[in-house]
Amino acid sequence: MASAIREGKTGLIFFPAFDWAISPTHPEREERLLYTRDQIFEEGLMDLPQIEEYKPRLAESKDIARTHFCVPDVESQVTEAHLIAAGSTLTLADAWERGEIRNGFALVRPPGHHSMRVVHGNRGFCNINNIAILVEYLRSRYGHKRLAVIDTDVHHGDGTQEIFWHDPDVLCISFHQDGHTLYPGSGFVNEIGGPQALARTLNIPLPPGTTDEGIHYVLDNLILPVLKDFQPELILNSAGQDNHYTDPLANMRFSANGYAQLNEKLAPDICVLEGGYAVESALPYVNTGIIQAMAGLDYSHVREPDYVPGSFVQSDAMWREIKKTVEQVNEAWAEREEMVQMALEGLGDFYRRKKRIFYDTDMINESQEESVRLCPDCPGYMTISSSAQRGHGILNNAFCVSIPRGACSSCREDASEEYEEHLENRRIGYVYLQDKDRDRFKFCNNMTRTQKGY
Amino acid sequence: MLVGIDVGGTTTNAVLVDGDRVDKTAYVPTDHDDLLRCLLEALDELIRGVDVSKIERVVLSTTLITNMIAERKTDPVALVLIPGPGTNPRDYNLGEAIILDGAMDFRGKEIDRLNEPQIEEAAASIEKSGISRVAVVGKFCQRNPSHEESVSQILARALPNSKIELGHRVSGHLNFPRRAATTMLTLATKESYADFAAAISRALEGRRINAPVYILKADGGTLPLEGSLKMPVETIFSGPAASIMGVMALTPPGQTSVVVDIGGTTTDLALILSGRPLLSSKGARVDSMLTHVRAFAIKSVAIGGDSAVDVDDGCLAVGPERRGPPLCLGGSSPTPTDALRVLGKSSVGDLEKAKEAMAGVAGKMGCSIEKAAGMVVDLVVEKIASEIDEMFLEWEQEPAYRIWEIMKKEKLQAQNVVGVGGGSVALAPLVAARMGATSIVPEHAPVANAIGAAVARPTITLNLHIDTERGEYVAAEDGIMGQVNDRQMSLTQAEQLARRLLTERAERLGIGEYAAEAEVTRSEVFNMIRGWSTVGKLLDVRMEIPAGLLPSWRCS
Repeated sequence: MASAIREGKTGLIFFPAFDWAISPTHPEREERLLYTRDQIFEEGLMDLPQIEEYKPRLAESKDIARTHFCVPDVESQVTEAHLIAAGSTLTLADAWERGEIRNGFALVRPPGHHSMRVVHGNRGFCNINNIAILVEYLRSRYGHKRLAVIDTDVHHGDGTQEIFWHDPDVLCISFHQDGHTLYPGSGFVNEIGGPQALARTLNIPLPPGTTDEGIHYVLDNLILPVLKDFQPELILNSAGQDNHYTDPLANMRFSANGYAQLNEKLAPDICVLEGGYAVESALPYVNTGIIQAMAGLDYSHVREPDYVPGSFVQSDAMWREIKKTVEQVNEAWAEREEMVQMALEGLGDFYRRKKRIFYDTDMINESQEESVRLCPDCPGYMTISSSAQRGHGILNNAFCVSIPRGACSSCREDASEEYEEHLENRRIGYVYLQDKDRDRFKFCNNMTRTQKGY
Repeated sequence: MLVGIDVGGTTTNAVLVDGDRVDKTAYVPTDHDDLLRCLLEALDELIRGVDVSKIERVVLSTTLITNMIAERKTDPVALVLIPGPGTNPRDYNLGEAIILDGAMDFRGKEIDRLNEPQIEEAAASIEKSGISRVAVVGKFCQRNPSHEESVSQILARALPNSKIELGHRVSGHLNFPRRAATTMLTLATKESYADFAAAISRALEGRRINAPVYILKADGGTLPLEGSLKMPVETIFSGPAASIMGVMALTPPGQTSVVVDIGGTTTDLALILSGRPLLSSKGARVDSMLTHVRAFAIKSVAIGGDSAVDVDDGCLAVGPERRGPPLCLGGSSPTPTDALRVLGKSSVGDLEKAKEAMAGVAGKMGCSIEKAAGMVVDLVVEKIASEIDEMFLEWEQEPAYRIWEIMKKEKLQAQNVVGVGGGSVALAPLVAARMGATSIVPEHAPVANAIGAAVARPTITLNLHIDTERGEYVAAEDGIMGQVNDRQMSLTQAEQLARRLLTERAERLGIGEYAAEAEVTRSEVFNMIRGWSTVGKLLDVRMEIPAGLLPSWRCS
């Protein structure tokens, strides 16, 4: 919303990590942004007066700890490539805050939107969640409160959803190919957030084969009106490019032009690249289109070599399904306040849930028990008890405590007590205290009895 | 003996270098309406009484092309673009252009065919316009030049009297709009440049100088006059390049220096990092056009010895305006030159007049004349020093696309501040002191540019792109395409191929003896994976002979 009235250039950070891969033949490999580099450099986009290229910096361990509980610690979960990708979003945030840019695009890898609050390893090609790290940075550094994350990747943004599940001030909207047919198998209409934040998480599962028209229907009839209601201070786009009709890992029929138009309408303040693995047939064109749309340039000349306008048509059944989904989600949005009220009435002092998380890349099984205090005076502190096992390897147990921004003194005391109580408990390997209110983070390795802080 | 001549903005300098010694210097004022005459006058003065048969090499650095472009005296060119999908060509600052169908992709694969009747139509409209020079530039044609070549053939048949230049021959780098601009400028200056070169050759012949003649390029390298006819735009900005090469020649090798050239209204800054002049990361901006011309990174700051000094509401300001010469040199308003004279840091101009200039400033500032002069000089020094800091910062902040590039980027600090040009003698030592660096004002500073021209060695850049899945390699600027049979070609093999191609180019240009100096400056390889298996490799090698000095020159 904000960018409609902002002036200035579009900030671009291009960090293709040409020397980083998950494995040599993995989709997330060195070659992924090579042709994108060729295309955007050949177009001379960086020379245009509407665009300013920035150099990325490394995110600090503290920036990661503000969002994640990395087991055993930040340093063992991230490589330099992750820090640069996350740092790129922070560099753009700084430029945005200084008023140097009207909007910014972190065209970086590795991606992040499948990373959840607790990190035991890589899942869905992601170790740390770049856009969530950006959200926490915007809040702690610049005091922003209401932010919206729109996940336009073909896969459900389950990591981002999980991180902001209980937060009524971060609106997370994800549209994606139906979880019955695609990784990570979640993101259904009934996933709408924790009891205090119902309908601040919205999921729009779409049938395989959804076209430009279908996605723009969702945008026009659901996402844009909800954003207008919510009035976020910044709109962030978790900009995956795998809805493209040539993507090898998914089955949608979105075009480069469709992506460009989406970004023109959505007018995100900061875009962060997520997935997209059609390295030759989609990425060069989609990225060119997104950059042009953000910079207010004409994107009508961007066209994939094999694209024939009008060749993708949705069946009536698909249309019915999409419209029904949009209607359902709109209803949830409209009733959000009542739903929260009702949910809280039926609960006691704590809300608890158990969940299992599978890390496909690293073959890790994690089980968690999450607890949030339903505090009348503040957002309430949270604890997560997590145990994870890689294959048949060792079991890693962690106990994580999070103090929210604006915590009341009673939540602060109780949270600190929970942390202290779990120290010295040799059945739990690692204990964490994430104090978002004071921007301080510490953890203890119970086996070696060493403490560390950021 | 080596001859170096630099036709600069105000004077034309010439030097005669013998081994590691400057034997003789000469200079004449530059007449912008007749550059050839000044060049020859300086030469004649230089070689008076010299045995011309001992001259081994003559290097010229000239503002001819720079002036032609600045004064818009270039020849008209018709631009024909094959832009394919992507940016609307109207978003580029390229002026009128004829747009053709047809497209190549980043791999050099044809994704859209040419439309022959449309090309015929283009020829007809060019003929109607009366323009006889045509630049044909296609997006990604450096990866596959066949479209440019086909268009050129059709246009040549239809327009037999036209000169046609193709984008891929001008630059093999990525960046289509820059390639288009560079191709246009090449055509627009080629004929005048050829006339100039012919006149030079005749004149030297008349003086019985049979030594080979070279021209200095913006990247500090020399090129035989004959070879430079194909790429006249490369000679743009050779003046600053000559100064920087001169500083390299006159300072200890391997050090980090700032070159400060303080003139009347502007100060030019350049960096030599660990003995290597810093090239601008992208090509040079020529007038309002962005090009692919490799040039040293030069920063022009609007401050100099003649900048006007003003006091506004107790606040001192220097420049960017010039209101005539300094008061001590017969002008009417106070300048930094007057301040330096008052402080005894220079002996230029009339002391009483200088005091009068500073008295005016002192009156408004409510301080002594000396204090006022000191404040003026401090302000100038601070401005220049902070621009230098900024330049180092910009270099550090240049985008990088690999982890190691971001992790390893070292911090450099200036070891030396080297003053060249008339205005630098007094100010450069003060800038050095402010930056905690050593001040060097070389013995031959006023003719550093001509020395730079005299002792610079040739430069060459070769760009080789190999696609082993397609089984092809292309060295665009040479118009060479070839076959690669080994899908698993290694980077070492690619570098060997690059060296062979570079050596062949050097021999064609008549500078074969320098080919051994070539080094790989960029080298990358990507495995192409389709599905889960490797189908080929993409290799990119850039090999160059970088800017350097002739071996015969040793820094004394």
